[in-house]
Formats: sequence, C-alpha cells, structure tokens
Amino acid sequence: MRVTVELTYDMSKALGTDHFEVEDVATVKELIAKARERVGPTFEEHTRLAAVAVNGVLTSHAKGLGTRLADGDRVSFVKAAAGG
Amino acid sequence: MIKGYAGRVLEVDLTKQTFVFKPLDEDIARLYVGGKGYATRLLYDETEAGIDPLGPDNLLIFATGPLNGSVAPQSNRFSVVTKSPLTGGIGNATCGGSFSLGMKKAGIDVLVVRGRSEKPVRLEIDGDESQVSFLDASDLWGKGTYETQESLGKKKYHAVIGQAGENLVRFAGIVSNERIAGRTGTGAVMGSKKLKAISVRGKRKLEMEDPEAFKEYTKHIRELFRDHPMLGQKLKDFGTGGIVMTTNGRNILPTRNFQRGHFDGAIKLSGEWMHDHELTGVKSSCIHCPVTCGRDVEVEGKGRVKGPEYETLAMLGSNLEIGDIKKVNEWNYLADDYGMDSISLGVVLSFAMELSDKGMLDSKLKFGDPSGVSELIGDIAHRRGLGDDLAEGVKRMSQAFGGHEFAMHVKGLELSAYDPRGSYAQGVEYATTNRGGDHTQGASMYMESTGPLTIDPHSLKLKAELPVMQQNLMCTINSMVLCMFTTYGMIPKQVHGMSPSSYAHKLAVMAFENSGPALRFIIKKRPKGKPMLWFEKWLTYITGQTFSTGHIQEIGARIFNLERMYNLREGLTGQDDTLPPRLLHEPTFKHLQSGHPLDKLLPRYYDLRGWDQDGVPLRDTLEELRVAV
Repeated sequence: MRVTVELTYDMSKALGTDHFEVEDVATVKELIAKARERVGPTFEEHTRLAAVAVNGVLTSHAKGLGTRLADGDRVSFVKAAAGG
Repeated sequence: MIKGYAGRVLEVDLTKQTFVFKPLDEDIARLYVGGKGYATRLLYDETEAGIDPLGPDNLLIFATGPLNGSVAPQSNRFSVVTKSPLTGGIGNATCGGSFSLGMKKAGIDVLVVRGRSEKPVRLEIDGDESQVSFLDASDLWGKGTYETQESLGKKKYHAVIGQAGENLVRFAGIVSNERIAGRTGTGAVMGSKKLKAISVRGKRKLEMEDPEAFKEYTKHIRELFRDHPMLGQKLKDFGTGGIVMTTNGRNILPTRNFQRGHFDGAIKLSGEWMHDHELTGVKSSCIHCPVTCGRDVEVEGKGRVKGPEYETLAMLGSNLEIGDIKKVNEWNYLADDYGMDSISLGVVLSFAMELSDKGMLDSKLKFGDPSGVSELIGDIAHRRGLGDDLAEGVKRMSQAFGGHEFAMHVKGLELSAYDPRGSYAQGVEYATTNRGGDHTQGASMYMESTGPLTIDPHSLKLKAELPVMQQNLMCTINSMVLCMFTTYGMIPKQVHGMSPSSYAHKLAVMAFENSGPALRFIIKKRPKGKPMLWFEKWLTYITGQTFSTGHIQEIGARIFNLERMYNLREGLTGQDDTLPPRLLHEPTFKHLQSGHPLDKLLPRYYDLRGWDQDGVPLRDTLEELRVAV
C-alpha cells in the first residue's frame, strides 16, 4: 500500500521535493510518525500550524489521527490562507 | 449633507454631450450607504425593464461611499454598477487603484453615464470648476489600458478600458492603475458607449463628523492589521497566491475545467514560489492600504508588470493544467492590458479546451499545452476568429457548441476559483448571488476550507446561514466601499496562533459549528447596538450615524433584495439559482458519491431570506427592509 504525502511550501524547500511516498501505513497517526522521521527535527516547527487532510478532507472532520488510509490516498499538510 | 459624502451626483449624457451636477439623495444614502447600494437603487429606478445592456439606454454608474477619500485602510475602491451584458441581470464590480480617491477629491460621490457617443470619446472632469470636457479619443482607441493611462498623464485619476471593452467582449472590465473592476462585463458597457476613459481631478477634502476619533481609531486599526497574521504577514508576503497550496490540499483548486480539485504542479503556481522565484521585490498597493497584496513580476518584452492574483493563477494555471508560472504572468499581463476579467478568461479557455478534447470544437487547444493561448487572448480582445466565440462567455458558447453540463458559470458569470464541492456554503453563494457565480459577494470558503477556523465543508450545518450573512455583509462592504480583505481581520490573531490539533482549536471549531441559533437570530432580528467592528466605527465616526452588526446586516439585506428584484424584473428566476451540472453530479471527493447538495440547502436559504420557494422575496420582507419596487 502506498500513500502520497504532500508538504507545505517551507517543508518542500527544506526537503527539495513537494511530496514523497510512504508505504504500509494504516492510519494517519502511523503516517505522521513516518513523515516525522523523513522530515527530521524541523517537522514540528513546520507543521505546528498545519492541519492534515486526507484526499482533501481534514482529519478533524474524519476520525482524527485514527483516520484509516488506503492505497493511493493523498495526505496533505495545509495551512490557513486567504485569497481574493 | 451627511458627513462623509461630497454631496454631488454627476450625470453625463454622451449622446447629447451634456452634463449636470445634482445633489446626492440623502434618503438613498441613508438606506443604501453608497457604492454598490446607491448605484443599484439608481439603476433600478432610472432604467426600463428589458433594455439592451450594450445599448444607449443602459446606465454605467461609478459610485463611491462614505469611507472613500479617507485614510482608512483598504478604502480606496469604487463600485461600478450596470446591466450586465454577460448575465442580463445586475452587473457590478469593485476596483482598487486610485479613481475612487479622485472622485471624492473632485467632489463627486456618484457618476452616472448615459447614452452613447458617435465617436470614441473621453471625459475630463474638473471637480473644482464643476466642468466636464468631452474630448475626442480616436487617438487612444485601439490602445491597451497601460498605454492609455500613461498617455493621460499622472496629474489626474483615471478609469479606462482596453481593446476588450472597445470590442464588446462580454467579460471586459474597467481599469484604474493596475487594478480592474473585472466581473460581469462593465468594460463592454463602457465600450458600447464609445467611452474610452474618464479622468477626474479636484482638491476637495473629506469632511467627517468626528475626525479626531476617526484618526485615533484608524491609527490603532492600522497597527492591528500590520500585526495580523493574515493581513500583515501572509497576504503581505505572498499575496493572494499564498492560498494555492491550501486550496490544492483541500481539493478545491479548479483543475482541468473543474474536472478535479487538485493539481500536481500547484506548488509552482503558489504565492510562496512566486516570492522565491518570480517577484522583482516591488510591491504595489491601493492608496492607504497596509496590506500591499500586489506584487510585480518580469514579463519578457514587457518589463516589470503586475503579477497574477490567486484567481488568475488558478484559472489560467491549474484550470488549464498549465504549471508554467511565466506563461500565467504573461497571460495575466495581457488580460489586464486588453482590459478583461482573468477569471472569465480562464474559464472560457478551459471550456474551449474541453470542447476540443471531446471533439466538439475544431481547434488545437489542449489542456496542459500553452501553445497558441497568448495569440488567442489577443483574438478574444479583438474578436477575431475563434476569439470572437470565446468573447461571448461560456454560457453563450455552450449554447452554440454544446457542453452545457461542463459550462462552468452561474447566470452567465464564469465561476471563481473555489470548487464548491469542497465548500458547500460557497456553492450556495455561487448559486444565489445576484450577479452570478462569484466569490467576492460572499466568501464562505474562508470559514469552510481555507481560513484558520474551518467548519466541516461537507456537513449541511450553517450552509444556508453563512451565505445569507456573508452576502449581506459583502453588499454593505461594497457600498462603503471597502476591500473584502478587511473581513479577514475579523478572525483575531490569537485564533491564527492555535495549532489545529490543539484542544483550544477543537473547542473553537465546535463553538462555531453550533452557532446556528445565534446566526439565525442575527439574520432574522438584525439587533441594533453599538458599533464594534472597525468598519462600523469608521462609518459612525465619519457620518455621525450609528452602525452596528445589525445595521450592516439590514443594509446588506436591503441591497441584496433590491438586486434580486432587479434580476426578476429582467427575466431571471429562481431557476437560475443553480450550479453547473458537473458540480451537482460529478463527485471529486473519494468518500462522496455525488457533487454539491444544492437541492437540500436552497429551500433553507430561501426561507432564511424571507423568500418564497421560487426565490422571490415576500412582500413582507420587502416592506420590512424598506425596499421600494
């Protein structure tokens, strides 16, 4: 099973890529643990104000960290922003 | 005269080449404030039903409000109101730049343009001398908005059209400096009158009821905005493009003519990417605005020009599956210079690409392929070849070529860049907004999908209440006239600082989601009290009248209902309060089987508005709001 992780802009700058893939994760909690390993010590700083969305749906509107993942899912870290 | 107003309405008749200064109607000003509200009242009262939007009987009304001409942040905007050549209903747009300040310095609250000139003409208005000159504009006809403004000089304030307006492109706009009154085709109306440019000058100063209180309070608000995470930081650093990664992550970034809500190449269209790779370091702002959301980029052969906003990045980028920011920069420049709405432009291009893709249009246009697009934009502005078809807008194109189910418009106005399948309240706003599918007459996406405190966008909770309140608020904001960005300041700094995973944030979201009874009370009762928010206080200090949240909601509801009555008079009905079939029936979220649930929300929305189930305001509603029809 493979899940794509989309990063915030500042994370992508630090890592040199805007996304990476993780395998064999059943829940958002497991995915975050793997993402933390991959990003390193700056993970908390980069994601403190970011919400987590699975295929566009915030985990807070699903089952939180227990939200289950399926093959091909896209998990994004998103920050508040305003357009016009 | 109420303070905050210049006290004059200038009426210009282009057919007779005459003008008259009239006193501002204080009763209308009290009921409708100014800007869009005042101008809508005039359009309703002074035009016959069924007129041709591009004929001499249509009025083109430029209107300011009591905040314009002051130093209140985000207050240098004017409204333009007319019958829309795109929708056949109410047309309006607001614009930053400097023209609004010019009008107030010239001592003009409202400028009404009637009739049609035989030859290209421009107006020079000297407010101090109360004179209007009708000048031959043949030498400017055929020129872009930038060159036109340069030719007119820097000693006056200008509103101009480009080639798109001259050639009656139905989504042409009116430009002041590098800003545009983009939506609903106001520029085509100006072009139909053969009016190339309006220049104003004067030395009048705005009179206020309590200038000292205004000055002190504005100083405080300016500091508050500077320190605000959205107004003083994110928008300042990254412009509106700073939202691209958020809408993409939330699956609402229009992609491939709204076939999807996610674009793999979004990062290179983002405000952050622009900041790091494209910006020249020069920012631009409307006068007295501390946000400075504008930013300049380099375009080959054109030099340093205004960079694209979020809507343009999405509609000329992801929506065409183009991830090349330099192309978007160039097309944005072309749209501004020709004087056309880049939102509608992006949607007519994506519609044409999908028609080509499906074999319904004989063209070489392809999603993801920028070749030929620059030339086609020029063809649209000049109505050449295929460009002539695209200049008609998506609704008319779909009538000619088919593709109704993926023609992305409401009432004829092409949709903005927030896919409502991931923002249900925004979808209700698109469907019901009187000028058509648009995000600036109700911006609930900020509370559902992009802001720091978002409720579940797929729950039906608050999805009728938020649109009513938002539309009312924006009607009044557009009548003061203020920039919609001011509303972003309503969520305090402290909320922006909460981690979305924190307990405090969860509690705040829960409180918001359960605010239905309070919102319904405000909508129905509109309780009047003391001014609390900054724009309520500004209005109070300037005019001497009291404005509170209840007043703002009531005035907004009055304007919204008048717009609705105008639309009904012009033949639009509740049947037009809908969304494109693609948005209703094609799901873009993995856990959902269909699109936007408009049928479940519209009856609730109508009920809250005090309308019948055909979308017609009840007599009691109109009487209560004092909407004379």
